[in-house]
Amino acid sequence: MNFTDITFILQLTVATATPIALGSYAGLFSERSGVVNIAIEGMMLMAAMMGAFVSGYTQSLFWGVVAGMLSAAMMAAIHAVVSIRFKTDQIISGMVINLLAAGFTGHIYQIYLVPPRWPGSAGTFPELPIPFLKDIPFLGKILFQHQPIVYTMIILTFVIHYVLFYTPWGLRMRAVGEHPEAADTLGINVYFTRYANVIIGGMLAGLAGIWLSLEWVGTFNINMTGGRGYIALAALIFGRWTPFGAFGAALLFGLANAVQVYTQTLVPEIPAEFLQMMPYVLTIIVAAVRRPIPPAAVGQPYEKE
Amino acid sequence: MSKKRMSLFVLAILVLSLVLAACGGTAEKKVCAVLDTGGENDKSFNEFTLKGAREAADKAGLEFAHIVSESDADYEKNINNFVDEGCGLIITVGFLMGDTTKAAAIANPDVNFAIVDVDYWPGFGCDEGVDSCYSEEGGLSNVTSLMFAEDEVGYLAGTLAGCMSETAVIGTVSGMEIPPVVKFVVGYQNGAKAQNPSIEALNVYIPDFNDPTTGKQAGETQIGQGADVIFGVGGNTGNGGLLAAHEAGLMAIGVDVDQYNTYPEVQASLMTSAAKNMDVATGDAVTAYANDTLEAGIQLATVANGGVGLASYHDWDSKVPAECKAAVDAAAAGLTDGSISTGYAP
Repeated sequence: MNFTDITFILQLTVATATPIALGSYAGLFSERSGVVNIAIEGMMLMAAMMGAFVSGYTQSLFWGVVAGMLSAAMMAAIHAVVSIRFKTDQIISGMVINLLAAGFTGHIYQIYLVPPRWPGSAGTFPELPIPFLKDIPFLGKILFQHQPIVYTMIILTFVIHYVLFYTPWGLRMRAVGEHPEAADTLGINVYFTRYANVIIGGMLAGLAGIWLSLEWVGTFNINMTGGRGYIALAALIFGRWTPFGAFGAALLFGLANAVQVYTQTLVPEIPAEFLQMMPYVLTIIVAAVRRPIPPAAVGQPYEKE
Repeated sequence: MSKKRMSLFVLAILVLSLVLAACGGTAEKKVCAVLDTGGENDKSFNEFTLKGAREAADKAGLEFAHIVSESDADYEKNINNFVDEGCGLIITVGFLMGDTTKAAAIANPDVNFAIVDVDYWPGFGCDEGVDSCYSEEGGLSNVTSLMFAEDEVGYLAGTLAGCMSETAVIGTVSGMEIPPVVKFVVGYQNGAKAQNPSIEALNVYIPDFNDPTTGKQAGETQIGQGADVIFGVGGNTGNGGLLAAHEAGLMAIGVDVDQYNTYPEVQASLMTSAAKNMDVATGDAVTAYANDTLEAGIQLATVANGGVGLASYHDWDSKVPAECKAAVDAAAAGLTDGSISTGYAP
């Protein structure tokens, strides 16, 4: 492994960590405001399908992005209504959304996204190297030669950190997730805060799904998320519900995967499955050593006195 | 309802059922196909199985029917309906239908079954040796498994890749490490090495057939390691490898069917595909059934009998030099007369 290889692997790591990071930001908005979200996988899958579907039939990536994000936001809205309004167990609601997305996207795929009906992919977003920055040795290639959603993800990391810790919106969000009764007493609308943040999270999960179908692969196929929504959740826990932590965890998982793909050609004796489970083993070890503390009110429906 | 009308009604049912039973027994030979959920336009297993079976049945003058399964819960119902309709040969498709087909074959020893791409071995379907599976004792004396020599067509693809590669590095982006995939990969690597002994063959197994994201990542990694021909052997995951080659402006080889039709997005980079000709295999089985020569056991589709082979070069017809085409033809001739071995040992 030489220097060029390392640069290349790290560049791939940043790109493929994008859906995981965006997925964990989706979870962050939802869980920081007190709603458990294991439905990231389903929201991503729905957005990946709708993004490919609409962009294929309109031959416009723009409308694909709009449709993908809206569809994921709709899934999130369902999750919000079921969890907040009807106070159903949030794990069950999330699971149902994942199953619904798997069935629905598979059905639409079979009918509209295969020949002879399928009009063909609208392509993928172009690579946009950033002038000057891309020429920085080493870092330039790793961070500044990517497609647009990767940059969006990196910028969002800082934006979310700022919003979460330095704005009234973030303060309300955290208050509602830690102690909704106290927040309510102070005049914060608990329900509105939760609805809004779950739906914002849904849109971010949508962006993660769009990365799969419109930025990286260009087409949709059945179950193409392949568990990335769950990995995102693990990254969120690993990163202790903070944007920088989740970003770091996503990079770590992405790196593990990139190294796995790279080493398999060099050391074929190590089974692929073994290396693929490493991120999860790492998550369990980290969780055991340094107990993650979730937002105090996460998973509990709020009952107004 | 009076007693008299009641007995008339019972009599009518009796007569009707006798007539129906007689129909089932003496009707002309009927061929029926139960397709998987992929449907009849999947440009892959289901479509070509249907095409081969239907054309052969028409040619032999046999009655033909088919049904598309809506979900994997429907296999049993669909097979049993065809048994009840008096089908003499029932064709099923793919690994997922293996168990159901086996159960139906044991329950209906008078009906013939042909299953595409599934063979039974001890522990999966029967108790002792592989040959004994397809016997009276093994219970599957009425089942024909239509199998494909993936290693042979992989060898041809490898010969082409070895001839076309300028960097002398080639790659395979593979799905799960299961026999058909491994056969493709081993054949490909040995074919390339026979063509160019100094070639370096990279391979990545990705334990998922629906993960083009990781497939593309693997393809890009191999390209980063110098590969300039990528063979995608793993459904959608392999397609990710083809996409990586396409985006880098390099060469790609598809798998299973002519992917020029199934994956139009990468047409410009697709040299050819290592195809299993399901239509030939099922057509042969139907013809054999029509002539009463259909035998239980494994029917292997090979390069020699035209059951596997490289698909058309399409856009690459003018770009593949004559010497490479000749090398592929020579390898095919060698596999046919047995002078070349693919080097795959199970």
